[in-house]
Amino acid sequence: MERNQMHKHIFLMRQSFFDQGLLDEQFIQLEELQDDANPNFVEEVVTLYYRDSSRIILNIEQSLERNPLDFNKLDNYMHQFKGSSTSIGAKKVKAECTQFREYCRAGNGEGCMRTFQQLKKEYAILKRKLENYFQQSRQAGPSETACRPRMN
Amino acid sequence: MASDTDYDSDGMRGNGDGGLSEGNGRRRKHPFMTWRNNLRALVVDNARTCRIMESGLLDAYGVEVEAVGTGEAAVELIASGETFDLIVLEMFLPFMSGPETARTIREMGISCKILGIAPMYCEKDAQEFLAAGIDEFLEKPFTPELFIPFLMEIDNQK
Repeated sequence: MERNQMHKHIFLMRQSFFDQGLLDEQFIQLEELQDDANPNFVEEVVTLYYRDSSRIILNIEQSLERNPLDFNKLDNYMHQFKGSSTSIGAKKVKAECTQFREYCRAGNGEGCMRTFQQLKKEYAILKRKLENYFQQSRQAGPSETACRPRMN
Repeated sequence: MASDTDYDSDGMRGNGDGGLSEGNGRRRKHPFMTWRNNLRALVVDNARTCRIMESGLLDAYGVEVEAVGTGEAAVELIASGETFDLIVLEMFLPFMSGPETARTIREMGISCKILGIAPMYCEKDAQEFLAAGIDEFLEKPFTPELFIPFLMEIDNQK
């Protein structure tokens, strides 16, 4: 694919993340921290997020297998997970975290389990899309535009 | 995704491996804002991603940043003589909590601005944290819109 077309494709891919509600303005903050001294900052932070949060997800999974459920512990785990998800702008994941915490506070185990399944789905979808985005961005190389396109 | 890099574990002072600077002495060449005074901030957050973002943003806006992952490390740093104009303190730290850390820092006679942060706003948490000595309770994400007014206030008062 011609280089300009590749960049256009990547631009539209990125825009779709915001249009579909997968990412919010915080991702733009993350992008603004990327510069010549840290040219892969966004990808590195996102990679770190997925690595660190996979541990929390495992902890939550194990905690959800216990009987009775320790809602305090679950809430604490989800609290951590929400913080990290918020920091990279993972909008849908963050929304599921909020929902999960509400079910924890209500002591609703079924609600927690249902929401957790949805959360894992959103988490995986975002991971796949971002992996694809970063891979294509690397293949396309740096864009010639002076400014990074901003979300409307 | 990028290949794994050996980063510092949570609880240790980050040394800014690879491209992921947690402040700690590194300064951005062309910050988005400059100040009349040299401003120093301490970020205390056990979540690495959060810590990197918080440090990165402050650094981008012209603040010299140190970042640690525990309340104990923050207290140790301050006890060693390091001074800060601003402390950004996560509420839910492991072991020594955010409120406990704030209380200890205030008992050490430190009067700088402390911003307490948490992933979700809760009135009960805010009251507890404010009673422990923070100046303001903020819900994450920690964005320039939230922290720039405090930096301006600090810079004007120095």
